[in-house]
Amino acid sequence: MTATSLPPKSFTAEARVRVRVKRLVLYTVLVSVTGLFLGPFGWLILSGLKTQGELAASPVHWLPDVFQWHNFADAFTQIDFLGYARNSLVIALLYATLVTLSSAWVGFGFARLDAPGKKVLFGVLLGSMMLPQMVTLLPTYLIFAKVGMVDTYWPWVLWGLSAAPYLVFLFRQFFAGMPRELEEAAIIDGCGYTSIFWRIFLPQSWPVLSASFIIAFTWTWGDYIAPQLLLSTDRTTLAVAVMTTYVNEGGTPVPELQAAASVMYVVPILLIFLVAQRGFVAGMSTSGLK
Amino acid sequence: MTVGQISSVAADRPDAPASAGRAPAVGGPQTSMTARRHRAFYMFTSPWIIGFVLLTIAPMVYALWLSFTTFDGISPNWKYVGLGNYRELLNDSVTWAALGRAGLFAVTSVPLSIIAGLALAVLVNRPIKARGLFRTLLYLPAVVPPVGAGLAFKLLFDQNSGASNGVLTFFGFDAVGWLADPYARYVLLMTVLWAAGNVMIISLAGLQDVPRELHEAARIDGASAWRTFRSITVPLLSPVLLFQTVTGMIASVQTIMPLLLAPLGDTSGITTVPQSNYLYMMHVFAQYFALGRYGYASALLWVLFVLILVVTGLIFKFTSGVVFYNVDPEAKK
Repeated sequence: MTATSLPPKSFTAEARVRVRVKRLVLYTVLVSVTGLFLGPFGWLILSGLKTQGELAASPVHWLPDVFQWHNFADAFTQIDFLGYARNSLVIALLYATLVTLSSAWVGFGFARLDAPGKKVLFGVLLGSMMLPQMVTLLPTYLIFAKVGMVDTYWPWVLWGLSAAPYLVFLFRQFFAGMPRELEEAAIIDGCGYTSIFWRIFLPQSWPVLSASFIIAFTWTWGDYIAPQLLLSTDRTTLAVAVMTTYVNEGGTPVPELQAAASVMYVVPILLIFLVAQRGFVAGMSTSGLK
Repeated sequence: MTVGQISSVAADRPDAPASAGRAPAVGGPQTSMTARRHRAFYMFTSPWIIGFVLLTIAPMVYALWLSFTTFDGISPNWKYVGLGNYRELLNDSVTWAALGRAGLFAVTSVPLSIIAGLALAVLVNRPIKARGLFRTLLYLPAVVPPVGAGLAFKLLFDQNSGASNGVLTFFGFDAVGWLADPYARYVLLMTVLWAAGNVMIISLAGLQDVPRELHEAARIDGASAWRTFRSITVPLLSPVLLFQTVTGMIASVQTIMPLLLAPLGDTSGITTVPQSNYLYMMHVFAQYFALGRYGYASALLWVLFVLILVVTGLIFKFTSGVVFYNVDPEAKK
């Protein structure tokens, strides 16, 4: 064994070359794969900087002759961009705040309390994560239309108040890991569970609270189909506006403005992700550890 | 602890509070304490229970009822038709074709994105420079909302001005109508692969929990890298992969990406979705919105729901022997 750990000099040199080649291949693969992944978004930005003529040109016009920065300004004025952004923001903040609090509340119940039927309920909760939302959304839309909640933000309030199974699970995992002495001391002091939740558990769960908030916010900001079904053209969100309203009088799409607008629509989410990456990724990966 | 970390967090805790010897030493206040806990449990879980009943069960039951009728939302003289919609559905070749396409999409997109995500995870789990940066950049597309992704791919694969045809013609090939039949399905598939960072992140968390000793032991035994990956990494990741398979399948069934990739994608634009991307959910949309056939569309939704239940059940059944749940013996105490 000792003999092989001291190889001859020529062998080491050869090995060093081999290691270097290996590393070169690794980095080449890594950089080109990363480039491939960034490509579509880069192309979107580039498209937002071209003229309409360049975007219709065949064969492809790789780079704009002159960068059309004004497309971004025009995308703002062609439609009520800020108005739609405000709608998106209101809905996303409303839903994210409510659903984070309600999911924490429900998660606390599943983590810290018990009662007959808890096991079954928890099974239903986990099972409901597998329920395709589309299947319930379409009939829900009909019901909301019946009770006059179409074109209001009430659906998001109701969805927010009723907790999201995925986030409940996240909070349950977190609360279940906290030491039992916390609430035992409080119970001896005569604290009710409500104040135990608000005063002891919630202040200690900032990492999950922020992860949950960000996840819920990005869901809602990115959601296309619910606002498309439930809201009228004026009250709808930026997602729907970007997709449907960049057309000229004749009804043909204006792709360069649409591209510029969608860059401005996507960038806030990317920024939130970059700033809050840790919590985001922690939340995502916990979901896989069922 | 390291070995069991993956599953101990999740698998062993659900019942811990119940079985952790709650009974207080004092006899008297015990029952009132227990009753209080029970009441509190339902107080805390009630928002979800009520919400689930009103916003999930009720719409499902409503849809079930509608599926036995000819309700279209407008005409007042709709009627009960029993299993009529279901009978029509079974004889509708468009439904079968759409279901077949959805199935094909699921069995291609799910394994491919898992393989891609796993490959990315292994790649960025190596000791490389700027590892964090590469991970972030590879994950970034998974954060892009569907509307942004759809538009980006629409521009990238535009027949005239798209970069993809630019590359093809540069190498002397003919330009391809990517967004039309029969190629549209490949663009759809690529939008799924673009978000493979999701699988990558979740697999990475799992990969980092694979104990180093196992890899070292394998190396000493002379196992190749591929063998180590197949016999150690994949089994230890199998719960994560199972989860990805099930959620991926459900996501693939309800994707609206075909709508976003179609010319002028809005719900009324359902008619512009090319045939090869006319998946089951698109068929539901067409019946729902373009034709207003709520009864028939509800029947389609219920069939889909039952199919998903059955397929999920089958996946769990057939993987129960294969998936390796690493239970931490210490957590049992």
